[in-house]
Amino acid sequence: MAESVSRALRDGALDGEHAPALAIKDSGDSPFGLAVFSHVLTQLASNVLAGKSQSRFVVLDCYTDPLGWKERLMECGSITNSSPKVSVNTSLCKDIRDLDKLFSLILQQGKGFLGEGKSRFSVAIDSEPGLSGRKAHGGGSLCLIDERADLDLMSNLSLGKVSEMLRHTSTSSVAGLISNLRSHNLVSCVFWLLHSDFHEIRVAAALEYLSSMLASIEQMTRPNDVPRDNSQNISLLEHNYRRGKFHVRFKRRNGRVRVMSEEFQVEQSRIKFMSVSSEDGTIAQSLVPKVQFNLQLSEKEKVDRAKVVLPFEHQGNGRSIDIYDGRRSLNDGKSDTMPASSEKVQTNEDSGRGEIIYFRDSDDEMPDSDEDPDDDLDI
Amino acid sequence: MAAMKTRTSSFSRNISGAPTSPIPGLKYGPNGTIFVSSGISDLDKILGGGYPLGSLVVVMEDSEAPHHMLLLRNFMSQGLIHKQPLLYASPSSDPRAFLGTLPSPLSSKDDRSRDRDAEQEKGLRIAWQYKKYFGDEQKVEGRGDGKLEYCNDFDLRKPLERYFFSGQSIDCISLHDNPSLYTFRDRCSAFLAQLPRYDGKITSAGRIAIQSFCSPQCEFSNMEWGMLSFIRYLKSMVRSSNAVAVLTFPHSLVSPSFSKRLQHLADTLLSVRAIQDEDKELAKLLTGYQDMVGLLNIHKVPVILDATTFSMKLQKRRSLVLECLNQAPVDCSSGTSYATSGSCSGSSTSGTLDF
Repeated sequence: MAESVSRALRDGALDGEHAPALAIKDSGDSPFGLAVFSHVLTQLASNVLAGKSQSRFVVLDCYTDPLGWKERLMECGSITNSSPKVSVNTSLCKDIRDLDKLFSLILQQGKGFLGEGKSRFSVAIDSEPGLSGRKAHGGGSLCLIDERADLDLMSNLSLGKVSEMLRHTSTSSVAGLISNLRSHNLVSCVFWLLHSDFHEIRVAAALEYLSSMLASIEQMTRPNDVPRDNSQNISLLEHNYRRGKFHVRFKRRNGRVRVMSEEFQVEQSRIKFMSVSSEDGTIAQSLVPKVQFNLQLSEKEKVDRAKVVLPFEHQGNGRSIDIYDGRRSLNDGKSDTMPASSEKVQTNEDSGRGEIIYFRDSDDEMPDSDEDPDDDLDI
Repeated sequence: MAAMKTRTSSFSRNISGAPTSPIPGLKYGPNGTIFVSSGISDLDKILGGGYPLGSLVVVMEDSEAPHHMLLLRNFMSQGLIHKQPLLYASPSSDPRAFLGTLPSPLSSKDDRSRDRDAEQEKGLRIAWQYKKYFGDEQKVEGRGDGKLEYCNDFDLRKPLERYFFSGQSIDCISLHDNPSLYTFRDRCSAFLAQLPRYDGKITSAGRIAIQSFCSPQCEFSNMEWGMLSFIRYLKSMVRSSNAVAVLTFPHSLVSPSFSKRLQHLADTLLSVRAIQDEDKELAKLLTGYQDMVGLLNIHKVPVILDATTFSMKLQKRRSLVLECLNQAPVDCSSGTSYATSGSCSGSSTSGTLDF
């Protein structure tokens, strides 16, 4: 659920624990990771500006800001809260290959704005290859949005296209950067976007390992229709293309994993989340039918149950032990003349009670087998 | 028939038992093995006494759950209480901070004895044929005051007190800072050199705890053969010293062949798994699902086990207990039939559960 994800990021980290980390994963089938990422970022920024989040301000590191985040955030800022000033600062990060330097630069920029107090800051790193002709790997810029409210808050961190970073550096250094950021006491939360198609499974698994929430974006299952005309088909495909499923796995602190899923639809400039529609068909759980027995005891039944004397309970009471012998003596049922090879069982209907008359297999059979093992039951 | 307390036969049982070790924290077992407690009394019972001295215990982590930390915490706390030297390595840059999360032992005033509660009648009347032969059995009560127990129950919410840390040899190593494994290997051998194994007397036992060994932030994490040779070396060093090494690794992040080789290197192999929250199918399948936090599987151990999957529960949110999985009563109208033993059918999400 996108709401709970945003809430988790907004609430941030507790003292002494790692910051929550969100990994957004998409694939070629449903490449809306960037839309989701922007959605999360704008939600977070609006929370920051409204003062609701743990973080104090957001630091953006974007190459060329191709998505127009700066403008969008400014706009967002002006809508939600106009009184505090929103100042945007940029600084360049030359080389994304040196992740240690990037880390220290982030911290330095953040600390520069902190002043005193226990505030923390947010960092968002985006490394989209430059669209406007800048060098693809050379430039980056840090963009700080500061809200000068006197609140004692922590910071978020969003690493944009980690796929780009992974292109240039090794997995271990990116993982090291993320884990350092998470454990740093000035960082409130971290989130990043990963294209699962671009990387080996190991790399994707490593980044998922470091996250505390995993959001994956999948395409809708294709409706299995009878093929219609081409035009209808295409429009249906287009319609379904803009939609997808959004699954989130939360790693809770007690060790359980909570799985939630939603559907989303990408519209012109925004993304809309809605709860799973019932036409899906995959969640066809039958309701648990009611048990057919009444398993409750009424008061009278409880009293009666307490009164029952159980078989061996009275043996210590000093009364003589009477072993119930409900079976007839052996000689009645045996037929000496005909040792049949198999037992035959007859019931005598004439007497009012049932009788079992059986024939022994052979005379060699041990007499113990005639005994009823329930003989020592003491009822 | 009167209850007869004295036996008339010529056979009498020798109830002297195993020699109690003068060193607290060590237990003598069959075939000359010496055990060290894991910190979790249920796990000690399952493993036949604890972790054998000189062995390598490998725990396979689940990337979605931190249960391996519970095992490590109990292990390390138990060692500190018994004043056993400890070496701890983790991929974080400040491993000392983890020591602050070690649990403290439950005081004896608290209700430690779950077993005794279960045996009391609680209003349940049981008809038992041989009850008349038994008088009152006196349970052995009370130990000498001040004597350390072999395995303590830990309260996971309370941190270990400071005085357990003072005067202790606790070595903390950050795997993140070491780009290669050589320095780590040297530190391990220096640590183990203090605890050599001779025939005869043991002065103390040591514990090594390595957390998340192949974690991606360590630079050696893609040098698989390097890591394997390190672990092989560690295993041989531990075998010739009086120590136990517990190593956890995230098995989903390494290649399957590496994971298999590491599993074969282990003397005792455990794995922890996360369970899904609010999983209705699992709730129908197992009793006590609400209290469970995870599952513990025992893959390789030098005893014969009835069951290999146990559920981890936090009793009263503070102490870890391991319980056998119990199948919930079958809903008669559901239509699927369950076998009396072995794996159960009908639930595709639960994976392999071994009763």
